[in-house]
Amino acid sequence: MKSFNYKLNTLIITILISCTVTAQNPKDISRKSADAIALGSMEMTTTLKIMDAKGNTRSRTLNMASKKFGDVTKMMMKFTDPADVKGTSILIFDYEDRADEMWIYMPALKKTRRVVSNEKGKNFMGSEFTNADMSKPNIDDFDYKTISSENINGRACHVIEATPVSKEAALSNGFSKKVSYIDKDNFLCYKIEYYDLKNKLLKTQIIGDYRPVEGGNYFYYEMEMKNEQNGRKSVLKTDKFKAQSQMSEAQFSSSNLDK
Amino acid sequence: MEKKSFILKNRKLIIILTAILAAAAVIPLFSLRINPDLESYLPDNIESRINNQKIGDLFGTKEPIVVILSTEDVLAPETLERVDNLTNGFRDLGTLSPIQSLSTAKNIRGEDGMMLVDPVIDYYPQSEEEREELRNRIKDNDLAYKLLVSEDFKNTMILLNSDLSVKDAELMNQIDSIITLYPGSEEVLINGQPYLRDEANAKISKDIMILLPLGLLIMLIFFWFSFREFKGMILPFGVVLISIAISMSLIPLLGWELSIIGVLIPIMMIAIANNYGVHFVARYQELNAIDPESSMADIVEESLSYLKRPVIICGLTTIVGILGLTVHILLPASQMGVVSAIGIGIALLLSLTFIPAVLSYLKKGKIHFHPNGESKSIIAKALSNLGHLLSRHPKRILTGFALFFIAITAGIVIMRVASDFNNILPAKHPFNKSIEIANREFGGSKLMTAVFEGDIKDPELLKRMEGYEKELSEVEGIGSATSIAKIIKKMSTALNDPSDPGYNKIPDERDAVAQYIEFYSMSGDPADFDQFVDFDYTRAAVTIQFNATGMKDLERIIESVNNILGNDPSLTLVGGYSLVEKEMSESIVKGQYYSLLFAFIAIFLLLAIIFKSISAGLLGSLPLVFAVLCTFGFMGWSGIKLDIVTALLSSVSIGLGVDFTIHMFWRMKSEISSGRDYREAAVTALKTAGRGITINALSVMLGFSILFFSSFPIIKSFALLIILSLLFCLVSSLLLVPAICIIFKPTFLKNGKKHEII
Repeated sequence: MKSFNYKLNTLIITILISCTVTAQNPKDISRKSADAIALGSMEMTTTLKIMDAKGNTRSRTLNMASKKFGDVTKMMMKFTDPADVKGTSILIFDYEDRADEMWIYMPALKKTRRVVSNEKGKNFMGSEFTNADMSKPNIDDFDYKTISSENINGRACHVIEATPVSKEAALSNGFSKKVSYIDKDNFLCYKIEYYDLKNKLLKTQIIGDYRPVEGGNYFYYEMEMKNEQNGRKSVLKTDKFKAQSQMSEAQFSSSNLDK
Repeated sequence: MEKKSFILKNRKLIIILTAILAAAAVIPLFSLRINPDLESYLPDNIESRINNQKIGDLFGTKEPIVVILSTEDVLAPETLERVDNLTNGFRDLGTLSPIQSLSTAKNIRGEDGMMLVDPVIDYYPQSEEEREELRNRIKDNDLAYKLLVSEDFKNTMILLNSDLSVKDAELMNQIDSIITLYPGSEEVLINGQPYLRDEANAKISKDIMILLPLGLLIMLIFFWFSFREFKGMILPFGVVLISIAISMSLIPLLGWELSIIGVLIPIMMIAIANNYGVHFVARYQELNAIDPESSMADIVEESLSYLKRPVIICGLTTIVGILGLTVHILLPASQMGVVSAIGIGIALLLSLTFIPAVLSYLKKGKIHFHPNGESKSIIAKALSNLGHLLSRHPKRILTGFALFFIAITAGIVIMRVASDFNNILPAKHPFNKSIEIANREFGGSKLMTAVFEGDIKDPELLKRMEGYEKELSEVEGIGSATSIAKIIKKMSTALNDPSDPGYNKIPDERDAVAQYIEFYSMSGDPADFDQFVDFDYTRAAVTIQFNATGMKDLERIIESVNNILGNDPSLTLVGGYSLVEKEMSESIVKGQYYSLLFAFIAIFLLLAIIFKSISAGLLGSLPLVFAVLCTFGFMGWSGIKLDIVTALLSSVSIGLGVDFTIHMFWRMKSEISSGRDYREAAVTALKTAGRGITINALSVMLGFSILFFSSFPIIKSFALLIILSLLFCLVSSLLLVPAICIIFKPTFLKNGKKHEII
């Protein structure tokens, strides 16, 4: 009896381990986590709060729309608040393999100006977020490793470390690794820690208020990024969200910025 | 001697107590710490420090460090590559941002309805044409030309900002390791306060390690030549050692740290603390020679009773002079006052207790003293000649002194006060070379910040700031003035075409300013603006870069800045490290006046009490006034500036110099009371007491001359000035004082009984 029990236990453990291994391939988990979010084509109204280390806050409200056309993701943003920048609009063409194109319309100048920059804009709207935080991560840019399991807000999460595949990838991303906390059930990501090139904690991103949207996906209505080194913090709060933008490609044009 | 004195009765106890004291003094020495940061010694409540703190709070507390690469042409590909590598290396350290260099510089411009943002260096020029093309592009970029690259393209600058999270030594180590990681033919020079402090820190320890043993060795040799007897050498030497240990151990015990001034303390002890012991040994040898039959105990008793009074008086006057430093505003100066006064007090005490106690146990040595043997020495001959002069032409001597005094003190008019602490390091040190390049090629190494408060997006305020920038940069000495207004104007050239009305000007509408700023903060690093404007756009800084060659020049520039900005309703404060340095220098001067005043009054009173006469106080102070003023005059003529170290010397030289006069008074009084006239008394005093005074002065000068081996030029200047100042004291007490006595015949020398002669 004793021997049978022992064999049964061993069998159960073996099955459990093999199940975990297949379900816990960290790259798959990361891909599923990225796919769970409705990024790519959308329209939304969002409030961006930028805070300095002392807690002073600067708040901007903007309407955003983005949609992918072929190999280019086009993004349009228009400030609605505060009053002195209301109407300022920006159009960005984000190409996968070449420098971004950008146009800006300033109501005070009443004209649209093209901006040609050979430098990749790192920060989103002068906040702690980067432009990369606003789009889907490229899963193949990283190597993945599961480091542990942890509970976040009562949910069991995989803790997955992603390391850029090359030195160039690390330099262009501006971090040496990121550690993501991903829900074991629904693959929603609640927290990401970014480490700088010297492997010191640089930023902590908290993602929350996930709500289901059309098409069976989710969208986070609140996202916070705290720079652990300089104490600055930015919070992005979505007021309205609509998956699948209905805007046509013609509407994503510089002549449309002053509308 | 039937009755034993207190000292000899308790000689065992005295020796044991001294041994315990000496052993106990060694322990705290291990916790002695160096703090080279002169600013940290200033009281916290002085205005410039408060202002500097406020500016730090508003625009980030950062300390700039400048790395300059010097070569034939900085546009050579290997130099540009090195700048790139260094910039990346510094950035990876993580504690030095924001970093500005040719690698980070942007070229922002408007062209054909487009705004173009490019790195200034987007490729390393391979041909001569490419290099000249790049040169012309940089010349057109007013955010790079003359700011990051010198006008002649021989120097380029990497500007780092330390966030103060790393200690100086570690930070400079990191910076050095990055520089060695990317070697090149360019000369790399660094400046900035962390570097200055780190260098000073290393040199303070090195100085003490070299100067202290050297000083002790020289003293040992000096004692040997003076006494030719082991006990004569070792006893005063022991007293010097113990008093150095005690004074140095007081620094950590009182919760203080060792500053650059602290280097002076042990050397001062070597120079001064031996005096009293030397008198004792000299007297013992003299008595031994005069009466070889007397016992050691008798000799000790006699020496003690003979020396007690004059040695105590000389010790006290020295202590009083040095105590003048305790009223100094600058902490290291008052610390030095307290610590050395106690150290000298201990030396005085041990010379009158420990030395006789030990000596009484020892056997008498061979006779080393020949009362007439040294009369042929150079000193004796010189004094004899001076005696003739004094006796025949006292009025001529007086006239000579007066003429000399007038000529040398005229230099006081051109004496300058140092306005910064750059001269702590030698002129040839990379730090000062880089300061020199910054002053010559990059518009100055000093910074001042003016803070404006209000709605910073208000075009009216911005236009005023723009006007100030222009006016300020026309002031001689000011290299540049930069504010958010300059950046907004630059933005206007990128967002407008040259034909547009808004090109190259501050917009007329507030909304336009807001949109320019919004756009800039969108495209750049959010921290880019930190140094110019605070987070909610209610305060803005105008940063003024300048060069000042001394206190007067600095005052002129500050006055011009005040004239230009002073009436603006939005200006709230002007600050910066150079203003802290200025206030520090002012407090050095002020502190010096307080110390001088204290020392003069105290010594005047002491002399007046000792000789029971106001005119003794006045006449006795005369050589000191003469010496102090002549030293200041010499500083003017020679260009040595009054700084944190040289400001200390008058207190020290007063404390030491007054002894010379006291000895002269004593001897003249004694001679007069034994029936001689003023003239004879003065000449005899010169020939007898004058010899002891001269030897004493020379030994103190010898002690201070060790400071010439210091690695700090300001300490070398101190050595020169203190020796000179003691020389002035010596000459005036040997000649001026007796000449005056011969001519004016002061009555205090006639009063009272005969004093003992030393």
